[in-house]
Amino acid sequence: MSVLGRVRARPQATAGVLGRGRARPEATAGVALTLPVAVFFVVFWLVPFLAAIYLSFTDYEMAGTPNWIGLANYERMFADPGFLNSAWITVVYTVCTVVPTIVLALLVAVPLSRPGRLNRGLRALVMIPAVMPLAATSMVWVIIYSDRGLANTLLGLVGIDPQSWLTSSDLAIWALVVMVVWKSMGLFVIILTAGLQALPGEVYEAAAIDGSGAVTTFTRPTLPLLRRTLLFVLVISVAGSMQAFVPAFLLTGGGPADATQVLPYYIWANAFPYEHMGYAAAMGMVLLAAMVIVSALQFGFLKGGDE
Amino acid sequence: MRAGTILRTVWLIVAVGFMLLPVYAMLVVASAPDDTDLRGLVFNGFHLPENIRVLFGEGNLPTYLRNSLILCVGTGALDVLFSAAAGYAMAQLSFPGRRVLFALVIGTLALTPMVLVIPVFLIVKELGWVNTFQGMMVPGMISAFGVFLVRQFALGIPKELLLAARADGAGEFRIFARIAVPLLKPALITLFLVHFLGQWDNLLWPLIVANEQELWPLPVGLANFQSEVGFTYHLTTTAALVTAVPPFILMVALQRYYVAGLTFGGLKR
Repeated sequence: MSVLGRVRARPQATAGVLGRGRARPEATAGVALTLPVAVFFVVFWLVPFLAAIYLSFTDYEMAGTPNWIGLANYERMFADPGFLNSAWITVVYTVCTVVPTIVLALLVAVPLSRPGRLNRGLRALVMIPAVMPLAATSMVWVIIYSDRGLANTLLGLVGIDPQSWLTSSDLAIWALVVMVVWKSMGLFVIILTAGLQALPGEVYEAAAIDGSGAVTTFTRPTLPLLRRTLLFVLVISVAGSMQAFVPAFLLTGGGPADATQVLPYYIWANAFPYEHMGYAAAMGMVLLAAMVIVSALQFGFLKGGDE
Repeated sequence: MRAGTILRTVWLIVAVGFMLLPVYAMLVVASAPDDTDLRGLVFNGFHLPENIRVLFGEGNLPTYLRNSLILCVGTGALDVLFSAAAGYAMAQLSFPGRRVLFALVIGTLALTPMVLVIPVFLIVKELGWVNTFQGMMVPGMISAFGVFLVRQFALGIPKELLLAARADGAGEFRIFARIAVPLLKPALITLFLVHFLGQWDNLLWPLIVANEQELWPLPVGLANFQSEVGFTYHLTTTAALVTAVPPFILMVALQRYYVAGLTFGGLKR
Protein backbone atom coordinates (compact mmCIF):
# COMPACT_ATOMS: atom_id res chain seq x y z
CA MET A 1 0.00 0.00 0.00
CA SER A 2 2.61 2.48 1.03
CA VAL A 3 4.92 1.35 -1.76
CA LEU A 4 2.14 1.82 -4.31
CA GLY A 5 1.38 5.26 -2.94
CA ARG A 6 4.95 6.25 -3.16
CA VAL A 7 5.36 5.02 -6.74
CA ARG A 8 2.21 6.82 -7.82
CA ALA A 9 3.36 10.04 -6.21
CA ARG A 10 6.46 10.14 -8.36
CA PRO A 11 6.21 10.70 -12.09
CA GLN A 12 9.29 8.57 -12.91
CA ALA A 13 8.13 5.31 -11.32
CA THR A 14 11.25 3.24 -12.08
CA ALA A 15 13.63 5.80 -10.69
CA GLY A 16 11.54 5.90 -7.54
CA VAL A 17 11.65 2.14 -7.09
CA LEU A 18 15.38 2.02 -7.78
CA GLY A 19 15.87 4.88 -5.37
CA ARG A 20 14.06 2.97 -2.67
CA GLY A 21 16.15 -0.11 -3.35
CA ARG A 22 19.28 1.96 -2.76
CA ALA A 23 17.90 3.87 0.17
CA ARG A 24 18.03 0.87 2.48
CA PRO A 25 21.80 0.23 2.53
CA GLU A 26 22.31 4.00 2.54
CA ALA A 27 20.13 4.39 5.62
CA THR A 28 21.83 1.46 7.34
CA ALA A 29 25.25 2.91 6.62
CA GLY A 30 24.11 6.36 7.74
CA VAL A 31 22.91 5.03 11.07
CA ALA A 32 25.98 2.83 11.57
CA LEU A 33 28.43 5.63 10.78
CA THR A 34 26.74 8.12 13.09
CA LEU A 35 25.80 5.76 15.92
CA PRO A 36 29.00 6.16 18.00
CA VAL A 37 28.77 9.93 17.78
CA ALA A 38 25.05 9.91 18.59
CA VAL A 39 25.57 7.71 21.66
CA PHE A 40 28.51 9.85 22.74
CA PHE A 41 26.61 13.12 22.48
CA VAL A 42 23.65 11.72 24.36
CA VAL A 43 25.78 10.29 27.20
CA PHE A 44 28.35 13.07 27.56
CA TRP A 45 26.43 16.16 26.45
CA LEU A 46 22.65 15.82 26.48
CA VAL A 47 22.29 13.78 29.68
CA PRO A 48 24.82 15.91 31.60
CA PHE A 49 23.12 19.08 30.41
CA LEU A 50 19.73 17.87 31.65
CA ALA A 51 21.37 16.62 34.84
CA ALA A 52 22.98 20.03 35.39
CA ILE A 53 19.58 21.72 35.08
CA TYR A 54 18.16 19.26 37.61
CA LEU A 55 21.12 19.60 40.00
CA SER A 56 20.78 23.38 39.95
CA PHE A 57 17.42 22.96 41.73
CA THR A 58 18.88 20.68 44.41
CA ASP A 59 21.16 20.91 47.43
CA TYR A 60 23.45 18.15 46.13
CA GLU A 61 26.77 18.03 48.02
CA MET A 62 28.48 14.95 46.50
CA ALA A 63 27.93 12.91 49.65
CA GLY A 64 24.26 12.05 50.11
CA THR A 65 21.32 12.37 47.75
CA PRO A 66 20.07 15.50 45.99
CA ASN A 67 16.99 17.12 47.54
CA TRP A 68 14.78 19.37 45.47
CA ILE A 69 14.97 22.91 46.85
CA GLY A 70 13.34 24.84 44.01
CA LEU A 71 14.88 28.20 43.24
CA ALA A 72 16.80 28.42 46.52
CA ASN A 73 20.22 28.17 44.80
CA TYR A 74 19.32 31.00 42.45
CA GLU A 75 18.08 33.16 45.30
CA ARG A 76 21.18 32.38 47.35
CA MET A 77 23.41 33.53 44.48
CA PHE A 78 22.13 37.06 44.47
CA ALA A 79 22.81 37.41 48.19
CA ASP A 80 26.24 35.76 47.96
CA PRO A 81 29.05 38.36 47.94
CA GLY A 82 31.40 35.72 46.49
CA PHE A 83 29.14 35.23 43.47
CA LEU A 84 28.46 38.92 42.95
CA ASN A 85 32.18 39.67 43.19
CA SER A 86 32.98 36.91 40.67
CA ALA A 87 30.29 38.04 38.26
CA TRP A 88 31.60 41.61 38.36
CA ILE A 89 35.22 40.50 37.90
CA THR A 90 34.17 38.38 34.93
CA VAL A 91 32.50 41.40 33.31
CA VAL A 92 35.58 43.59 33.86
CA TYR A 93 37.92 40.82 32.72
CA THR A 94 35.89 40.09 29.58
CA VAL A 95 35.53 43.71 28.47
CA CYS A 96 39.16 44.56 29.25
CA THR A 97 40.57 41.53 27.43
CA VAL A 98 38.28 41.52 24.38
CA VAL A 99 38.38 45.19 23.37
CA PRO A 100 42.17 45.80 23.50
CA THR A 101 42.88 42.41 21.92
CA ILE A 102 40.69 43.07 18.90
CA VAL A 103 41.82 46.68 18.46
CA LEU A 104 45.52 45.78 18.73
CA ALA A 105 45.10 42.71 16.51
CA LEU A 106 43.43 44.86 13.83
CA LEU A 107 46.19 47.47 14.05
CA VAL A 108 48.75 44.74 13.39
CA ALA A 109 46.73 42.64 10.94
CA VAL A 110 45.85 45.43 8.49
CA PRO A 111 49.44 46.38 7.57
CA LEU A 112 50.61 42.77 8.02
CA SER A 113 48.16 41.43 5.43
CA ARG A 114 49.89 43.37 2.64
CA PRO A 115 52.11 41.32 0.34
CA GLY A 116 55.89 41.37 0.68
CA ARG A 117 58.70 39.19 1.88
CA LEU A 118 59.15 40.99 5.24
CA ASN A 119 55.44 40.64 5.99
CA ARG A 120 55.49 36.96 5.13
CA GLY A 121 58.31 36.47 7.62
CA LEU A 122 56.55 38.49 10.31
CA ARG A 123 53.33 36.54 9.74
CA ALA A 124 55.23 33.32 10.46
CA LEU A 125 56.70 34.81 13.66
CA VAL A 126 53.28 35.88 14.94
CA MET A 127 52.26 32.23 15.00
CA ILE A 128 54.81 31.44 17.72
CA PRO A 129 52.97 33.19 20.58
CA ALA A 130 49.65 31.98 19.14
CA VAL A 131 50.63 28.34 19.39
CA MET A 132 52.10 28.55 22.92
CA PRO A 133 49.98 26.43 25.28
CA LEU A 134 48.14 28.57 27.83
CA ALA A 135 49.50 26.51 30.72
CA ALA A 136 53.10 27.10 29.57
CA THR A 137 52.34 30.76 28.85
CA SER A 138 50.98 31.21 32.37
CA MET A 139 54.12 29.72 33.94
CA VAL A 140 56.31 32.04 31.85
CA TRP A 141 54.26 35.06 32.90
CA VAL A 142 54.62 34.06 36.55
CA ILE A 143 58.36 34.63 35.98
CA ILE A 144 57.75 37.82 34.00
CA TYR A 145 55.66 39.20 36.89
CA SER A 146 58.10 38.10 39.60
CA ASP A 147 59.88 40.79 41.64
CA ARG A 148 62.99 40.72 39.48
CA GLY A 149 61.20 39.77 36.28
CA LEU A 150 60.79 41.33 32.86
CA ALA A 151 57.72 43.46 33.75
CA ASN A 152 59.52 45.30 36.56
CA THR A 153 62.70 45.56 34.48
CA LEU A 154 60.81 47.30 31.65
CA LEU A 155 59.09 49.62 34.14
CA GLY A 156 62.50 50.40 35.63
CA LEU A 157 63.67 51.62 32.19
CA VAL A 158 61.00 54.35 32.28
CA GLY A 159 61.64 55.12 35.95
CA ILE A 160 58.66 53.39 37.58
CA ASP A 161 59.15 51.51 40.86
CA PRO A 162 58.87 47.71 40.84
CA GLN A 163 55.35 46.36 41.53
CA SER A 164 54.16 43.13 43.08
CA TRP A 165 51.97 42.19 40.14
CA LEU A 166 50.39 38.96 41.30
CA THR A 167 50.15 39.63 45.02
CA SER A 168 48.59 43.08 44.97
CA SER A 169 44.80 42.95 44.94
CA ASP A 170 44.71 46.13 42.82
CA LEU A 171 47.12 44.92 40.17
CA ALA A 172 46.55 41.16 39.91
CA ILE A 173 43.50 41.33 37.64
CA TRP A 174 45.35 43.70 35.26
CA ALA A 175 48.31 41.34 35.25
CA LEU A 176 45.97 38.58 34.05
CA VAL A 177 44.39 40.90 31.49
CA VAL A 178 47.76 41.88 29.98
CA MET A 179 48.83 38.24 29.70
CA VAL A 180 45.57 37.19 28.07
CA VAL A 181 45.63 40.12 25.63
CA TRP A 182 49.15 39.10 24.63
CA LYS A 183 48.19 35.44 24.31
CA SER A 184 45.02 35.98 22.24
CA MET A 185 46.51 38.69 20.07
CA GLY A 186 48.68 36.29 18.09
CA LEU A 187 45.68 34.09 17.37
CA PHE A 188 43.49 36.99 16.28
CA VAL A 189 46.19 38.56 14.12
CA ILE A 190 46.35 35.27 12.19
CA ILE A 191 42.58 35.02 11.81
CA LEU A 192 42.17 38.68 10.82
CA THR A 193 45.12 38.53 8.42
CA ALA A 194 43.58 35.51 6.71
CA GLY A 195 40.27 37.38 6.52
CA LEU A 196 41.92 40.47 5.06
CA GLN A 197 43.85 38.47 2.50
CA ALA A 198 40.62 36.86 1.34
CA LEU A 199 39.12 40.26 0.50
CA PRO A 200 38.91 41.04 -3.22
CA GLY A 201 41.91 43.07 -4.44
CA GLU A 202 39.84 45.22 -6.82
CA VAL A 203 38.30 47.03 -3.87
CA TYR A 204 41.70 48.38 -2.92
CA GLU A 205 42.58 49.29 -6.50
CA ALA A 206 39.34 51.26 -6.71
CA ALA A 207 40.08 52.96 -3.40
CA ALA A 208 43.59 53.83 -4.57
CA ILE A 209 42.24 55.29 -7.83
CA ASP A 210 39.79 57.36 -5.79
CA GLY A 211 42.82 58.65 -3.90
CA SER A 212 41.67 57.33 -0.49
CA GLY A 213 44.20 57.62 2.32
CA ALA A 214 45.08 54.75 4.63
CA VAL A 215 42.44 55.69 7.19
CA THR A 216 39.52 56.11 4.78
CA THR A 217 40.48 52.91 2.96
CA PHE A 218 40.28 51.18 6.33
CA THR A 219 36.95 52.65 7.43
CA ARG A 220 35.18 52.39 4.06
CA PRO A 221 35.92 49.25 2.11
CA THR A 222 37.96 47.23 4.61
CA LEU A 223 35.98 47.34 7.83
CA PRO A 224 32.52 46.54 6.37
CA LEU A 225 33.93 43.72 4.23
CA LEU A 226 35.66 42.28 7.24
CA ARG A 227 32.47 42.24 9.28
CA ARG A 228 32.03 38.47 9.13
CA THR A 229 35.58 37.77 10.32
CA LEU A 230 35.28 40.43 13.02
CA LEU A 231 32.03 38.94 14.27
CA PHE A 232 33.70 35.53 14.47
CA VAL A 233 36.69 36.91 16.39
CA LEU A 234 34.41 38.87 18.71
CA VAL A 235 32.19 35.88 19.46
CA ILE A 236 35.03 33.48 20.17
CA SER A 237 36.97 35.99 22.26
CA VAL A 238 33.97 36.97 24.39
CA ALA A 239 33.03 33.32 24.90
CA GLY A 240 36.65 32.46 25.69
CA SER A 241 36.97 35.25 28.27
CA MET A 242 33.67 34.43 29.96
CA GLN A 243 34.80 30.81 30.41
CA ALA A 244 38.44 31.53 31.27
CA PHE A 245 39.64 29.36 34.13
CA VAL A 246 43.31 28.61 33.49
CA PRO A 247 44.91 32.09 33.94
CA ALA A 248 43.22 32.65 37.32
CA PHE A 249 44.04 29.13 38.43
CA LEU A 250 47.70 29.19 37.41
CA LEU A 251 48.75 32.80 38.02
CA THR A 252 46.89 33.83 41.14
CA GLY A 253 44.72 30.96 42.40
CA GLY A 254 41.80 33.40 42.37
CA GLY A 255 43.57 35.67 44.85
CA PRO A 256 44.79 37.83 46.38
CA ALA A 257 41.63 38.29 48.49
CA ASP A 258 39.41 36.97 45.66
CA ALA A 259 40.55 39.84 43.41
CA THR A 260 40.94 37.52 40.40
CA GLN A 261 38.19 35.06 41.26
CA VAL A 262 36.45 34.99 37.88
CA LEU A 263 33.13 33.16 37.74
CA PRO A 264 34.47 29.93 36.16
CA TYR A 265 37.01 29.73 38.97
CA TYR A 266 34.33 30.32 41.61
CA ILE A 267 32.13 27.63 40.04
CA TRP A 268 35.00 25.15 39.98
CA ALA A 269 35.97 25.95 43.59
CA ASN A 270 32.39 25.49 44.78
CA ALA A 271 31.89 22.26 42.82
CA PHE A 272 35.14 20.42 43.50
CA PRO A 273 37.13 21.46 46.53
CA TYR A 274 33.95 22.42 48.46
CA GLU A 275 31.54 19.91 46.85
CA HIS A 276 28.60 22.36 46.71
CA MET A 277 27.56 20.77 43.44
CA GLY A 278 23.94 21.91 43.38
CA TYR A 279 24.92 25.51 43.96
CA ALA A 280 27.78 25.33 41.46
CA ALA A 281 25.41 23.84 38.85
CA ALA A 282 23.04 26.77 39.35
CA MET A 283 25.88 29.25 38.85
CA GLY A 284 26.90 27.32 35.72
CA MET A 285 23.36 27.81 34.40
CA VAL A 286 23.57 31.55 35.01
CA LEU A 287 26.92 31.69 33.20
CA LEU A 288 25.47 29.71 30.29
CA ALA A 289 22.44 32.00 30.10
CA ALA A 290 24.70 35.06 30.14
CA MET A 291 26.82 33.59 27.34
CA VAL A 292 23.78 32.80 25.18
CA ILE A 293 22.35 36.31 25.68
CA VAL A 294 25.68 38.00 24.94
CA SER A 295 26.24 35.95 21.75
CA ALA A 296 22.71 36.68 20.57
CA LEU A 297 23.31 40.40 21.13
CA GLN A 298 26.57 40.27 19.19
CA PHE A 299 24.95 38.52 16.24
CA GLY A 300 22.04 40.94 16.31
CA PHE A 301 24.30 43.95 16.54
CA LEU A 302 26.65 43.00 13.72
CA LYS A 303 24.03 41.39 11.47
CA GLY A 304 21.77 44.43 11.87
CA GLY A 305 24.14 46.50 9.77
CA ASP A 306 23.68 44.24 6.74
CA GLU A 307 20.43 45.78 5.50
CA MET B 1 53.43 57.86 0.69
CA ARG B 2 57.03 56.82 1.24
CA ALA B 3 56.93 58.10 4.86
CA GLY B 4 53.76 56.02 5.31
CA THR B 5 55.52 52.85 4.20
CA ILE B 6 58.41 53.44 6.57
CA LEU B 7 56.07 54.23 9.46
CA ARG B 8 54.06 51.08 8.75
CA THR B 9 57.18 48.92 8.65
CA VAL B 10 58.54 50.36 11.88
CA TRP B 11 55.18 49.84 13.62
CA LEU B 12 54.99 46.23 12.45
CA ILE B 13 58.51 45.41 13.56
CA VAL B 14 57.95 47.02 16.98
CA ALA B 15 54.57 45.29 17.43
CA VAL B 16 55.80 41.85 16.39
CA GLY B 17 58.91 42.42 18.53
CA PHE B 18 56.70 43.00 21.57
CA MET B 19 54.68 39.90 20.72
CA LEU B 20 57.87 37.84 20.66
CA LEU B 21 59.46 39.38 23.76
CA PRO B 22 57.88 36.98 26.29
CA VAL B 23 58.87 34.03 24.10
CA TYR B 24 62.43 35.34 24.00
CA ALA B 25 62.38 35.87 27.79
CA MET B 26 61.24 32.26 28.16
CA LEU B 27 64.24 31.06 26.12
CA VAL B 28 66.64 33.18 28.19
CA VAL B 29 65.35 32.13 31.63
CA ALA B 30 64.99 28.49 30.54
CA SER B 31 68.69 28.52 29.59
CA ALA B 32 69.89 30.20 32.78
CA PRO B 33 72.26 28.37 35.16
CA ASP B 34 70.30 29.48 38.26
CA ASP B 35 67.70 31.93 39.56
CA THR B 36 69.90 35.00 39.94
CA ASP B 37 68.84 36.81 36.75
CA LEU B 38 65.13 36.62 35.94
CA ARG B 39 64.93 39.65 33.66
CA GLY B 40 64.96 37.43 30.63
CA LEU B 41 66.88 39.94 28.54
CA VAL B 42 70.47 38.71 28.31
CA PHE B 43 71.63 35.12 27.91
CA ASN B 44 73.89 34.06 30.79
CA GLY B 45 75.45 31.09 29.05
CA PHE B 46 73.33 28.39 27.45
CA HIS B 47 72.40 25.82 30.08
CA LEU B 48 69.20 24.61 28.46
CA PRO B 49 70.48 21.06 27.83
CA GLU B 50 71.59 20.67 31.46
CA ASN B 51 68.28 22.06 32.73
CA ILE B 52 66.36 19.64 30.54
CA ARG B 53 68.56 16.80 31.81
CA VAL B 54 67.81 17.77 35.41
CA LEU B 55 64.07 17.84 34.73
CA PHE B 56 64.12 14.49 32.98
CA GLY B 57 66.38 12.95 35.62
CA GLU B 58 64.82 14.11 38.89
CA GLY B 59 61.30 15.28 38.16
CA ASN B 60 58.15 13.71 36.79
CA LEU B 61 58.29 15.65 33.55
CA PRO B 62 58.79 12.48 31.43
CA THR B 63 55.64 10.98 32.97
CA TYR B 64 53.63 14.14 32.27
CA LEU B 65 54.95 14.28 28.73
CA ARG B 66 54.06 10.64 28.12
CA ASN B 67 50.56 11.11 29.58
CA SER B 68 49.96 14.20 27.45
CA LEU B 69 51.05 12.35 24.32
CA ILE B 70 48.79 9.36 25.07
CA LEU B 71 45.89 11.72 25.79
CA CYS B 72 46.31 13.92 22.74
CA VAL B 73 47.22 11.32 20.13
CA GLY B 74 44.65 8.83 21.47
CA THR B 75 41.66 11.15 21.64
CA GLY B 76 42.80 12.99 18.50
CA ALA B 77 42.78 9.76 16.47
CA LEU B 78 39.39 8.71 17.86
CA ASP B 79 37.93 12.16 17.18
CA VAL B 80 39.16 12.01 13.58
CA LEU B 81 37.74 8.50 13.10
CA PHE B 82 34.29 9.13 14.59
CA SER B 83 33.91 12.67 13.26
CA ALA B 84 34.90 11.52 9.76
CA ALA B 85 32.23 8.81 9.82
CA ALA B 86 29.51 10.99 11.31
CA GLY B 87 30.37 14.14 9.37
CA TYR B 88 30.38 12.28 6.05
CA ALA B 89 27.12 10.48 6.79
CA MET B 90 25.40 13.68 7.89
CA ALA B 91 26.48 15.47 4.72
CA GLN B 92 25.94 12.76 2.11
CA LEU B 93 23.63 9.99 3.30
CA SER B 94 19.96 10.14 4.09
CA PHE B 95 18.97 8.17 7.14
CA PRO B 96 16.41 8.46 9.92
CA GLY B 97 17.39 10.84 12.71
CA ARG B 98 19.82 12.90 10.67
CA ARG B 99 18.19 16.23 11.48
CA VAL B 100 17.88 15.44 15.18
CA LEU B 101 21.54 14.49 15.34
CA PHE B 102 22.58 17.66 13.55
CA ALA B 103 20.56 19.76 15.99
CA LEU B 104 22.19 17.90 18.87
CA VAL B 105 25.68 18.57 17.51
CA ILE B 106 25.01 22.26 16.85
CA GLY B 107 23.36 22.64 20.25
CA THR B 108 26.43 21.34 22.06
CA LEU B 109 28.63 23.94 20.36
CA ALA B 110 26.96 26.55 22.57
CA LEU B 111 27.42 24.73 25.89
CA THR B 112 30.15 25.82 28.25
CA PRO B 113 32.27 23.16 29.97
CA MET B 114 31.56 24.89 33.29
CA VAL B 115 27.99 23.58 33.05
CA LEU B 116 28.96 20.07 32.02
CA VAL B 117 31.96 19.21 34.21
CA ILE B 118 29.86 18.54 37.32
CA PRO B 119 27.41 16.00 35.86
CA VAL B 120 30.08 14.48 33.59
CA PHE B 121 32.25 13.97 36.66
CA LEU B 122 29.33 12.20 38.38
CA ILE B 123 28.83 9.97 35.32
CA VAL B 124 32.53 9.14 35.18
CA LYS B 125 32.46 8.40 38.91
CA GLU B 126 29.45 6.12 38.40
CA LEU B 127 31.38 4.27 35.68
CA GLY B 128 34.30 3.81 38.10
CA TRP B 129 36.58 5.81 35.80
CA VAL B 130 37.93 8.37 38.29
CA ASN B 131 41.75 8.23 38.23
CA THR B 132 41.91 6.27 34.98
CA PHE B 133 43.02 7.08 31.46
CA GLN B 134 39.57 6.33 30.08
CA GLY B 135 38.11 8.79 32.58
CA MET B 136 40.43 11.49 31.30
CA MET B 137 40.05 10.59 27.64
CA VAL B 138 36.51 9.44 26.86
CA PRO B 139 34.46 12.53 27.84
CA GLY B 140 36.55 14.79 25.60
CA MET B 141 36.95 12.27 22.83
CA ILE B 142 34.55 13.67 20.23
CA SER B 143 34.01 17.36 19.64
CA ALA B 144 31.00 19.03 18.09
CA PHE B 145 33.54 21.19 16.29
CA GLY B 146 35.02 18.10 14.59
CA VAL B 147 31.71 16.67 13.42
CA PHE B 148 30.66 20.08 12.16
CA LEU B 149 33.99 20.73 10.40
CA VAL B 150 33.92 17.39 8.57
CA ARG B 151 30.25 17.79 7.67
CA GLN B 152 30.81 21.22 6.11
CA PHE B 153 33.77 19.86 4.18
CA ALA B 154 31.91 16.69 3.10
CA LEU B 155 29.07 18.77 1.62
CA GLY B 156 31.57 19.59 -1.13
CA ILE B 157 32.02 15.98 -2.26
CA PRO B 158 30.34 15.68 -5.68
CA LYS B 159 27.24 13.45 -5.58
CA GLU B 160 28.14 11.99 -9.00
CA LEU B 161 31.25 10.35 -7.51
CA LEU B 162 29.16 8.48 -4.98
CA LEU B 163 26.45 7.61 -7.52
CA ALA B 164 29.04 6.25 -9.92
CA ALA B 165 30.58 4.11 -7.19
CA ARG B 166 27.16 2.76 -6.22
CA ALA B 167 26.40 1.97 -9.85
CA ASP B 168 29.64 -0.01 -9.93
CA GLY B 169 28.30 -2.01 -7.01
CA ALA B 170 30.50 -0.62 -4.24
CA GLY B 171 29.03 -0.92 -0.74
CA GLU B 172 28.39 2.14 1.41
CA PHE B 173 31.23 1.47 3.83
CA ARG B 174 33.62 0.87 0.98
CA ILE B 175 32.58 4.18 -0.59
CA PHE B 176 33.19 5.92 2.71
CA ALA B 177 36.62 4.37 3.22
CA ARG B 178 37.89 4.48 -0.37
CA ILE B 179 36.32 7.63 -1.80
CA ALA B 180 35.21 9.93 1.03
CA VAL B 181 38.13 9.56 3.45
CA PRO B 182 40.83 10.44 0.89
CA LEU B 183 38.84 13.48 -0.21
CA LEU B 184 38.31 14.56 3.40
CA LYS B 185 41.99 14.30 4.25
CA PRO B 186 42.71 18.06 4.57
CA ALA B 187 39.74 18.49 6.94
CA LEU B 188 40.82 15.46 8.96
CA ILE B 189 44.39 16.75 9.34
CA THR B 190 43.01 20.13 10.42
CA LEU B 191 40.74 18.42 12.92
CA PHE B 192 43.57 16.32 14.37
CA LEU B 193 45.73 19.41 14.77
CA VAL B 194 43.01 21.50 16.42
CA HIS B 195 42.08 18.61 18.69
CA PHE B 196 45.69 17.93 19.64
CA LEU B 197 46.41 21.57 20.48
CA GLY B 198 43.21 21.91 22.51
CA GLN B 199 43.76 18.71 24.44
CA TRP B 200 47.44 19.51 25.01
CA ASP B 201 46.31 22.60 26.88
CA ASN B 202 43.39 21.01 28.74
CA LEU B 203 43.87 21.68 32.44
CA LEU B 204 40.35 21.69 33.89
CA TRP B 205 39.21 18.14 33.16
CA PRO B 206 42.38 16.19 34.15
CA LEU B 207 42.56 18.38 37.26
CA ILE B 208 39.08 17.24 38.23
CA VAL B 209 39.25 13.58 37.28
CA ALA B 210 42.89 12.60 37.99
CA ASN B 211 44.25 12.94 41.50
CA GLU B 212 47.14 10.56 41.00
CA GLN B 213 50.38 12.12 39.85
CA GLU B 214 51.08 9.07 37.66
CA LEU B 215 48.19 10.14 35.41
CA TRP B 216 48.79 13.87 35.20
CA PRO B 217 49.29 15.44 31.79
CA LEU B 218 51.58 18.45 31.38
CA PRO B 219 49.19 21.29 32.36
CA VAL B 220 48.36 19.67 35.71
CA GLY B 221 52.01 18.78 36.23
CA LEU B 222 53.05 22.38 35.53
CA ALA B 223 50.43 23.66 37.97
CA ASN B 224 51.96 21.49 40.71
CA PHE B 225 55.52 22.12 39.68
CA GLN B 226 56.49 23.85 42.92
CA SER B 227 56.39 20.55 44.77
CA GLU B 228 58.60 18.84 42.20
CA VAL B 229 62.29 19.59 42.16
CA GLY B 230 61.93 22.34 44.71
CA PHE B 231 60.57 25.47 43.11
CA THR B 232 63.12 27.19 40.93
CA TYR B 233 62.12 29.83 38.43
CA HIS B 234 64.53 28.77 35.73
CA LEU B 235 63.58 25.07 35.84
CA THR B 236 59.87 25.96 35.82
CA THR B 237 60.54 28.00 32.70
CA THR B 238 62.45 25.09 31.16
CA ALA B 239 59.43 22.87 31.83
CA ALA B 240 57.15 25.45 30.19
CA LEU B 241 59.48 25.48 27.18
CA VAL B 242 59.39 21.67 26.92
CA THR B 243 55.56 21.89 27.03
CA ALA B 244 55.53 24.42 24.22
CA VAL B 245 57.76 22.41 21.86
CA PRO B 246 55.38 19.67 20.56
CA PRO B 247 52.61 22.12 19.57
CA PHE B 248 55.24 24.28 17.93
CA ILE B 249 56.62 21.38 15.87
CA LEU B 250 53.12 20.37 14.79
CA MET B 251 52.28 23.94 13.85
CA VAL B 252 55.42 24.32 11.74
CA ALA B 253 54.79 21.01 9.97
CA LEU B 254 51.10 21.68 9.38
CA GLN B 255 50.94 25.48 9.18
CA ARG B 256 48.41 25.55 6.35
CA TYR B 257 45.99 23.30 8.24
CA TYR B 258 46.47 25.31 11.42
CA VAL B 259 45.33 28.51 9.74
CA ALA B 260 42.46 26.64 8.09
CA GLY B 261 41.33 25.39 11.49
CA LEU B 262 41.55 28.82 13.10
CA THR B 263 39.64 30.56 10.38
CA PHE B 264 36.99 27.88 9.91
CA GLY B 265 33.69 29.66 10.41
CA GLY B 266 35.28 33.06 10.16
CA LEU B 267 35.63 33.24 6.40
CA LYS B 268 32.92 33.24 3.82
CA ARG B 269 32.34 29.74 2.57
